[in-house]
Amino acid sequence: MYHETRAADGADPGGAVILGHGVSKLFGGTVVALEGATFTVKPRQFISLVGPSGCGKSTLLRMIAGLIEPSSGSLHVHGDPVGKPRRDVGMMFQRPTLMAWRTVLENVLLPTELVRKVTAADRDHALELIELVGLKDFAYAFPSQLSGGMQQRASLARLLQTGADVLLLDEPFGALDEFTRERLNLELLRIVAQFGRTTLFVTHNIQEAIFLADEVFVMTPRPGRIAGIVEVPFERPRDISLMQTVPFNEMVAEVRGIFDRDNK
Amino acid sequence: MSDESIPGLSAEDGLTWRRVFNHLAILVAFLTVWEMLTVTGIADELLYPRPTLIIYSFYSLFIDQGIVWRHLWITMATVLSGFVVGTILGISLAVVAGLSETARRYMKPYIIVLEATPRIAIGPLMLAWLGFGFEAKLAIVTLVCFFAPFINTLTGFLSADEDQIELMRSLGASKWQILTKAMVPDAMPLIMAGIRLAMASALGGALVAEFISSNEGMGVLLNNLAAVLQMSAAFAALLTLTVLGFFLYRIMESLESWIIFWHHDDSMRRVARKRQTYWSKL
Repeated sequence: MYHETRAADGADPGGAVILGHGVSKLFGGTVVALEGATFTVKPRQFISLVGPSGCGKSTLLRMIAGLIEPSSGSLHVHGDPVGKPRRDVGMMFQRPTLMAWRTVLENVLLPTELVRKVTAADRDHALELIELVGLKDFAYAFPSQLSGGMQQRASLARLLQTGADVLLLDEPFGALDEFTRERLNLELLRIVAQFGRTTLFVTHNIQEAIFLADEVFVMTPRPGRIAGIVEVPFERPRDISLMQTVPFNEMVAEVRGIFDRDNK
Repeated sequence: MSDESIPGLSAEDGLTWRRVFNHLAILVAFLTVWEMLTVTGIADELLYPRPTLIIYSFYSLFIDQGIVWRHLWITMATVLSGFVVGTILGISLAVVAGLSETARRYMKPYIIVLEATPRIAIGPLMLAWLGFGFEAKLAIVTLVCFFAPFINTLTGFLSADEDQIELMRSLGASKWQILTKAMVPDAMPLIMAGIRLAMASALGGALVAEFISSNEGMGVLLNNLAAVLQMSAAFAALLTLTVLGFFLYRIMESLESWIIFWHHDDSMRRVARKRQTYWSKL
């Protein structure tokens, strides 16, 4: 079925990491979680998906992750139709989902352990990532000994350990306080820039969405769909002061305008 | 190091000692009053034996006549074997029920019936089926120990962390890996609580089984001693069971802090050190 639609949509998957054409998802045959999402994600792009609850942003992310299948339309990752989870796509959730019985190092090594025997080189790589996310002194701590922000740092290190070149972040810092979230966002930008990975970042915060992204997918609910795609031209590396500038706030207004238009 | 603490006890040490002293004082006062009540004849010594006589009965039960050992051994064997069989049975059935929706559906009515039936009431039936022997007692204790581990294991599996499983799936984990690396450890605290409950009811189950069905074991000894009004010996036997119960409880407690170390700060630190050594040597 996917092969038919793949031929039919006629898009060139060559330059795109993720290609969606009319992607829809129905739950229970009646509830439309996402309707007709058409979009392209190019290599090393940072995309923010912003919208209120029920706009289908998490559904879209989970389809790209191969955790659930689209009901109709075509969705390709690296030219292959999505179907099941793949090694080059990694996901991070709002909750840290660390295993309480594993040390930070062992949690970070989990993706490796699931596919092969862990070697000393894997350990060293994991320790580097732990240092990168700022948990150098906590490699042998258990999750319950860490703060919420530190747990998400560990979770981010685990995501990087997968070696995936597509990172799917589902409101990763949404449960944290404002200050911690701001700091982790900045670090995320630094880390993603360093690794040059393609990133999809789900949030319900417009400022955060724009600040981080090259492109913002503005999503609206009932039924969930992509109501508009806004390109973010600001230079990188970006500083938190960017959020005080006029062009930034004009862009916030533009995104908000898309929501308002949809509400009428 | 300890030299430094000699010059004076810290405030906390002083408090501890005073509390220990208070407890001892209350205990001694209580025993003295009891002793006096029986010596003066206010309390009937036949029914409420003097504390000193109970202490003498310990000597006679354990050393002089030594009759307690055989009974103690029988009861211990019943408790432990029934506990092991019941717990293993409960956990394995719960794993099956936890993994298969169909198995769960078909098992459910029987579980409800079993839950509503006082397990110990099945004792006389067991007796009729299996006779006055070890088998009947084993069956009763097994039955008593089955339920808590079963229900807790099942609950643990059914309330598994969905996000955790989703994460495992996104990492391409197999069903077996999800079960062994996420679901089982995740359910472990609940499973352990079930196992502890089973152990707590095992001793009681074994004693009731012995009351109704046996000719040896601590239940029989206690029954016989009380029947012929050898009350001081009966008290000694009862206190022996208290000590046994206490040790079983402590064993389960250490087992728990060993298995689910991440719920206990001390164990967690110990494991962290061990893991660090392991990973450094890799």
